[in-house]
Amino acid sequence: MAVRTIEVRERVMARNDEIAAEVRARLAACGVVALNLVSSPGSGKTLLLERTLAALGPEFGIAVVTGDVQTQNDADRLAAHTERLVQAVVTGGACHLDASQVMAALDAIDLKEIQLLIIENVGNLVCPAAWDLGETAKVVLFSTTEGEDKPLKYPTMFRNARYAVITKVDLLPHLSYDVDLALANARAVNPNLRFFQTSATTGEGLEEWFTFLRGQVGIPVAR
Amino acid sequence: MHELSVAIEICHLAERSAGAAGPAAVRVVAVEMGDDAGLEPANLSFCLETLLAAPPFGMARPLLQRVPGHDLRVAWLEVDDGRPDN
Repeated sequence: MAVRTIEVRERVMARNDEIAAEVRARLAACGVVALNLVSSPGSGKTLLLERTLAALGPEFGIAVVTGDVQTQNDADRLAAHTERLVQAVVTGGACHLDASQVMAALDAIDLKEIQLLIIENVGNLVCPAAWDLGETAKVVLFSTTEGEDKPLKYPTMFRNARYAVITKVDLLPHLSYDVDLALANARAVNPNLRFFQTSATTGEGLEEWFTFLRGQVGIPVAR
Repeated sequence: MHELSVAIEICHLAERSAGAAGPAAVRVVAVEMGDDAGLEPANLSFCLETLLAAPPFGMARPLLQRVPGHDLRVAWLEVDDGRPDN
């Protein structure tokens, strides 16, 4: 009987990152921009997506991959606003989407028919930060009801994101939320973040978000 | 939940790395976990202990080594398959 050692020295995320690179290459080959929407549960990802699909769906091809721990509720909500394919990934307990799930979802999407892929990640500000899905950029949402210190509490997510959306700004008159403080906190973590402030209820700020998305589909995929 | 997902990924990597020896021969899975890896060490250990005690493993235990930085790696495996060490 002999005990021996096998040297491994491999990053745990290596396999996920390999698949993410394949996803990225597959999207780039078809000129598809992919945005990975991340936030805590209830910050308004699905409602922002509903408004986005309703406004931009007629203008260009958008497909959605939406992840939830359980239920297809979000996918059902989104499917009502678009004739494009909505792929639901029920993670069955996992707290994030991984690259292999996105790769599998792409098999059901005709990438030549779309310019924009939006991935609605599982509501969670911790775990999705660690998993590259092959996206062009992460978009982090945080709502006015969550407190200005979200970026300080969850710095990795805000550091890994390229864009940040403060949602539910229609509630500001009823809250003590300080937008300038929230922006300062986010910039302290990631000075390069570009911000949007939206209300999917009143429509405030949505036109700027839509203009941004229109611009995204006009630029080359890069990371 | 996050630690369990990561632990499952570690087990997949350990299974692949065990090669011909097979996962049942693995006795120790040594993991280097960065202090800034965003993981709770006790939680990760618990998840690994549970997974490594079940098939396709069965007789393995985790060895968590704290290192500086963000990295998370499987460093080495100890296997007992009757073959001598190289």
